[in-house]
Amino acid sequence: MGITQVLFWFLSIMAILSAILVVISKNPVHSVLWLIVVFVAISGHYILLNAQFLAIVNLIVYAGAIMVLFLFVFMLMNLNSETEPQKNRWLKIAGVIAGGALLLVMVAALKRADLKTQVAQMNTGDIGLIHNLGMALFHDYVIPFEISSVLFLSAMVGVVVIGKKD
Amino acid sequence: MNAIILSAVWGIIMMFSGIVTKSKTAIRNTAIIGLALLLIGNYADMMGYHLVTMEVHKMLYFDTFGLLGNSIAFASTLLLVLLSGRDMEKVGHNLAEYFALIFFVLCGISLVTTFNSLLMLFLGIEIISIPLYILTGSDKKNLKSNEAALKYFLMGSFSTGLMLLGIAFLYGASPMGSFAVDELWTAKPQVSPLMLSGILLLLISMSFKVSAAPFHFWTPDVYDGAPTVFTSFMATIVKVSIFVGFIRLFDEGFGQGAAQWQIFVAIITAATLFIGNITAVFQQSVKRMLAYSSIAQAGFMLLGLLSLTGIAKQGIILYAAAYSLATIGIFAILLRMKDYTFEGFNGLAKRQPLLAATCTIFLLSLAGIPLTGGFFAKYYMLMSVVSTGKFMWLAIFAVLCAAVSAYYYFRVIQAMYFKDGEGGTEVEPSAGFKGLLVLLAALILVLGVFPQTLLHQLTEMIYTW
Repeated sequence: MGITQVLFWFLSIMAILSAILVVISKNPVHSVLWLIVVFVAISGHYILLNAQFLAIVNLIVYAGAIMVLFLFVFMLMNLNSETEPQKNRWLKIAGVIAGGALLLVMVAALKRADLKTQVAQMNTGDIGLIHNLGMALFHDYVIPFEISSVLFLSAMVGVVVIGKKD
Repeated sequence: MNAIILSAVWGIIMMFSGIVTKSKTAIRNTAIIGLALLLIGNYADMMGYHLVTMEVHKMLYFDTFGLLGNSIAFASTLLLVLLSGRDMEKVGHNLAEYFALIFFVLCGISLVTTFNSLLMLFLGIEIISIPLYILTGSDKKNLKSNEAALKYFLMGSFSTGLMLLGIAFLYGASPMGSFAVDELWTAKPQVSPLMLSGILLLLISMSFKVSAAPFHFWTPDVYDGAPTVFTSFMATIVKVSIFVGFIRLFDEGFGQGAAQWQIFVAIITAATLFIGNITAVFQQSVKRMLAYSSIAQAGFMLLGLLSLTGIAKQGIILYAAAYSLATIGIFAILLRMKDYTFEGFNGLAKRQPLLAATCTIFLLSLAGIPLTGGFFAKYYMLMSVVSTGKFMWLAIFAVLCAAVSAYYYFRVIQAMYFKDGEGGTEVEPSAGFKGLLVLLAALILVLGVFPQTLLHQLTEMIYTW
């Protein structure tokens, strides 16, 4: 087992364990902190795949900016275990059944997936390097890249409409 | 391509028109000019004149079906703004921004009707959804509007997440690893479970966006809470355009494997027809009744998704036109009423005979009575299902549901003509408003009397291009 495999298993177990802890933590602030660990582990995976740009962006945007926003919201709402509303037992059972059914579908879908021809390119792939990413983004994917500006513009207009004092 | 560029650019122009002028009439006229330009630009695209030619890398594909869908969306928006533009001014102070958001929605619509890549579908759906969340909550002082916007936003983002998951699955399952819709289907006869779960996730999220049961729970609250003029926009133009994209996706992407997923669509259709029609019967508010009626009408449009024949494609275009025109008309009349309940319509025929007469034509069209556009729209949908030879039970069920729908549409007509009451409009409607209503009613009658000429031309256009 080479160093890559050791790192892969380490990061995977870290990601899954902390993802479970996100869900089962009673304190929402702890959930957010565990979520940061998940993002760090996934960024590690990206680096293993030689996608440095994606790894850095994931760290900056998700683990950095979005998590800070989450913490702000929690502090503004002053959430803690006492204020948590009591949930209906039947609702919980229904949630477990629905989630379990989705899990079953996912496992069934991935179990027989024919992905052997497209295994991850450890160490050798170079599509994740910023030069190649830029080439793909501004050549093959230039239309969606440009059109996403309409999306951001409409979101900004919306923020002004909602946020402005009348 | 003309429509995408023009709508995005005109959205920006509308945004800045709020700085240049404070006159609401000027802003509205700018929007009307923009919509007329969009309509002309889209027509030029169909005729082969393009503003720009660029390499789209198979991301977009401009065929007649999509462009016709665009034309109906733009023409309906133009009619909506002409009829109810003044009511938009009453919603809030940011008229220019509302129009900018509407133009951005139209940009999203022209992406959803002409996409050829799942990436573009996703972008289009998002460009439609985000301005709609804001338009829903634009009546900031109204608590119901706020609740509706939040509810719509939370559920909408969840369904977008499901759609992304489905797209990721399809990307993994496609033989070459591609987002292009026409390369998704593998040559293998046996469809992989990964692909099927991707198709199902896309089916669920698209059903959510067109408010098909059992993913319709947001619809009544959002349509009821949103300012009525934006409800009219959401329930007609946005819904039918997403249907055009829905049919496009399932026809070109997964059409070859229809046997694998048709049963799910059949179940969703039956549930939508049943829940939409039965719940609409018990409503006391006309606005809420129209929300459920839009669910029921979505059930009929889903029949086209089930059969995916040439007739279904023509039918959905006819349905889009007939349904949009009628619903925009009813909402325009509803906006002028003092009271939104059924009682509010009591005795309207005595006070406003013209409004009552046109409203009757719109309601008859929605119920699918012959000589109106709605009849032939429903007829083509049913015919497309019957012609496939399968799902006869669903066609019979749909006819029964259409019979149920007559009950709640006729309740409004009964209130207008056969009951005495204080029902009436807030102010005397202007002559221009009445003239436009007559034009809408005339269009619906033309669609109902001469659908053959129209459909003949549609067939030629769809198949010869």
